[in-house]
Amino acid sequence: MPTAIDLPPHVRDWIGDGLFQHVPSSVIVIDRELEVVAANSEFVRVFGEATGKHCYEAYKRRDRPCEGCMAIETFEDGEVRINDTRGIDKNGQPAHYVVHIVPVHNEEGKITHVIEMSYDVTESRFLQRRYNLLFERVPCYVAVIDRDYRVVRANELVRNTFGDSAGGHCYTMLKQSNERCADCPAMKTFADGGSYTSRQLGINKQGELTAYVVSTAPLSSSGRDFEHVIEMAVDVTESEQLSERLLREAQFRRRLTESAIDALVACEASGTINIFNPAAEQLFEVDALQVTGRKQIAEFLPDEFVRTVAAGGSSLQMPEAAVVNTKGETLPVRLSGTVLKEGDHVLGAAAFLQDLREVKRLEREKLDSERLAAVGSTVAQLAHGIKNILTGLEGGMYVIRSGIKKGSAERTNKGWDMLERNVQRITVLVRGFLSFSKGHTPKAVPSDPSRIAQDVIELYRDAAREAGVELIYEAERGIAQIDVDPEDIKTCLENLVSNAIDACQASNKEDQTVTVRVRERGSTVVYEVSDNGVGMDSEIKNKVFTTFFTTKGMGGTGLGLLVTRKIVQEHGGRVEMESVPEKGSVFRIELPRQRLPAPANQKRDVGRDSAEGEHSHGQTGG
Amino acid sequence: MVKPEDKTVLVVDDEEDVRDYLATVLEDSGFSVVTAADGAEALERVESAIPDFISLDLVMPNRSGMKFLHDLRRKQEWRDIPVVVVTAHAHDDLGKADFVEIFSGKQLAGPSFYLEKPVNPDQYVGLICEKLGVQIEGKPDESDTGRLRSQLHDLIDQMESTQLSQLLRMLKLLG
Repeated sequence: MPTAIDLPPHVRDWIGDGLFQHVPSSVIVIDRELEVVAANSEFVRVFGEATGKHCYEAYKRRDRPCEGCMAIETFEDGEVRINDTRGIDKNGQPAHYVVHIVPVHNEEGKITHVIEMSYDVTESRFLQRRYNLLFERVPCYVAVIDRDYRVVRANELVRNTFGDSAGGHCYTMLKQSNERCADCPAMKTFADGGSYTSRQLGINKQGELTAYVVSTAPLSSSGRDFEHVIEMAVDVTESEQLSERLLREAQFRRRLTESAIDALVACEASGTINIFNPAAEQLFEVDALQVTGRKQIAEFLPDEFVRTVAAGGSSLQMPEAAVVNTKGETLPVRLSGTVLKEGDHVLGAAAFLQDLREVKRLEREKLDSERLAAVGSTVAQLAHGIKNILTGLEGGMYVIRSGIKKGSAERTNKGWDMLERNVQRITVLVRGFLSFSKGHTPKAVPSDPSRIAQDVIELYRDAAREAGVELIYEAERGIAQIDVDPEDIKTCLENLVSNAIDACQASNKEDQTVTVRVRERGSTVVYEVSDNGVGMDSEIKNKVFTTFFTTKGMGGTGLGLLVTRKIVQEHGGRVEMESVPEKGSVFRIELPRQRLPAPANQKRDVGRDSAEGEHSHGQTGG
Repeated sequence: MVKPEDKTVLVVDDEEDVRDYLATVLEDSGFSVVTAADGAEALERVESAIPDFISLDLVMPNRSGMKFLHDLRRKQEWRDIPVVVVTAHAHDDLGKADFVEIFSGKQLAGPSFYLEKPVNPDQYVGLICEKLGVQIEGKPDESDTGRLRSQLHDLIDQMESTQLSQLLRMLKLLG
């Protein structure tokens, strides 16, 4: 290549002046005082007028020389220098430029001037920084490899995950392997310049398996004549683990719902059923395929649950609910429902239904056998107790005969009285027998529990007043109707109230009270009759429920409490008693709603009515 | 020869009719009779005058026959009074436990025999006479009512509870 010296003079002249002005870079000439002697048009365009200013003023708006000024060094040693530095352009914007500092010697070889030629790299440096940042900080693995499969560059995430081993083979760095991978996508890219994607399993620096999906691309815009391939990979370890776990959990849940004994019906917020497990299929006798996604929960579940879901409630427990299956049968179930919510937003709802048919059947059987046992033992006791009356009858006959023999009218009359009393006792007994007769089940009708108690209170108001006993009535408000035989329950209360009044009269207290209470505790209707009368010692307490036991001499038959207990047992309930001698007694009739007999719709038969008519009045307590 | 007039029998029963009946039976046979309606009253009677014989009901309010027996056993001079237990409850829940205890043989002294209600008056008097070594002049009662009674007695003992309830139903219809 020819030097400028060999050029024709006019070209050399142009270079001297024309080139200075037209070269596409900023050029200034400074003297030893660092003062700008000349500046070309490009320099003026970028940094503004400079001639007469100090270079540091022109480049950087400084008022003194820069530290480590390269121009000063060049003035001293005549070396050409290149400086990568920043200044401020004429608009006050930061400018990044590269300056070539070249000395100019005079004939004596002394450096008189320095020429600074600079080109602006602001834009390219900015881009470079941006791409570098992108390369380093992008949240995926990025590496550049050469044709030897050596890592030329790897970004921060690669270094942090797999360790910094630039210069090593990519398979060593990513997989701790000594051989190239069989399905290497980079190899394909090197072969044809295309882009390839594959899923790879690597080993991170902690020795854990790391799954990633990698894409390769040639590092050249044309896809030809390239020496490097860039690999970009996304870590899928966590999402793969997550989806695997989800899959397992979904399977577990599916198995759980499918093998559950309880029916599970779940719906979306719209009420459309989306889960209907095999137990639900069995309960409702319908195929899940005909239900899920097609039907509304309102078709299967109780209104109360549907309303709870619609109202955005949280959960619902219904120990005694009823559903209707596809055959129109009403089935007893225990329902436990949950509304699934995100904040206040209802996502859906699920209900577990326990089929109570078997439980109900067992309960009924138990109740029946209890009733039978009560009837059986009572009949046996009654039969046995007849002996007492027979003794009375025989006694009466004997005394009459004795009176006749001896001509004693007094004795004859006494015997007659004995006969009459015992015939009367037989009448009462027969009444008792009728109420105990086999096959008697209470004719339950929906009844107001407080009404029954009020009727009994009315019946005994006068008797209590005459006996000087205060009769108190306390009822909880709003107790719902119960399915009982109201006449039966009245009989029980009459027995208890009559006993309580007697117990008061037997004591010599001043303020004698009998209190009748009605209340409901946890779905159990409770009648309570308490008195502050004589009370009972343990011996009497043990015998009050047995046939013909009476503390009232001839005043009682010993049947009242027995009848009471039998009636209560027939209603699925129980009679409880507490008593303290000299303090008083409490008798409690407890009727759990779920054990009450089913209401009878048919009309009562005549025999039944007459039996009731008799034992509802003239009752005497035990 | 010991005469019934020389012997006093204490009849304890809470049922007035039974008490009167047994007392009449014994009086007719010539015994002196005192009565008590319960165990407590019986104890008072024994305290005021020791009877020769006690006819005792077991199931009574206000101190049962059982308790009364315990009281009797505790005192030397009462311990050997012969006692007959007259009960309707020898085999039911009401009296069975007491009854078994009394006749288990564990008692030092006490009743060694019992009668079940309804009581046959001849048997009753005969038993007491035997225990007391008393002889009564005259012959046993052979009247119509006596026969009727023993027939009824047998019937009741053999009857099923259902038959019994039917019988009582019929009795009621007749009445």
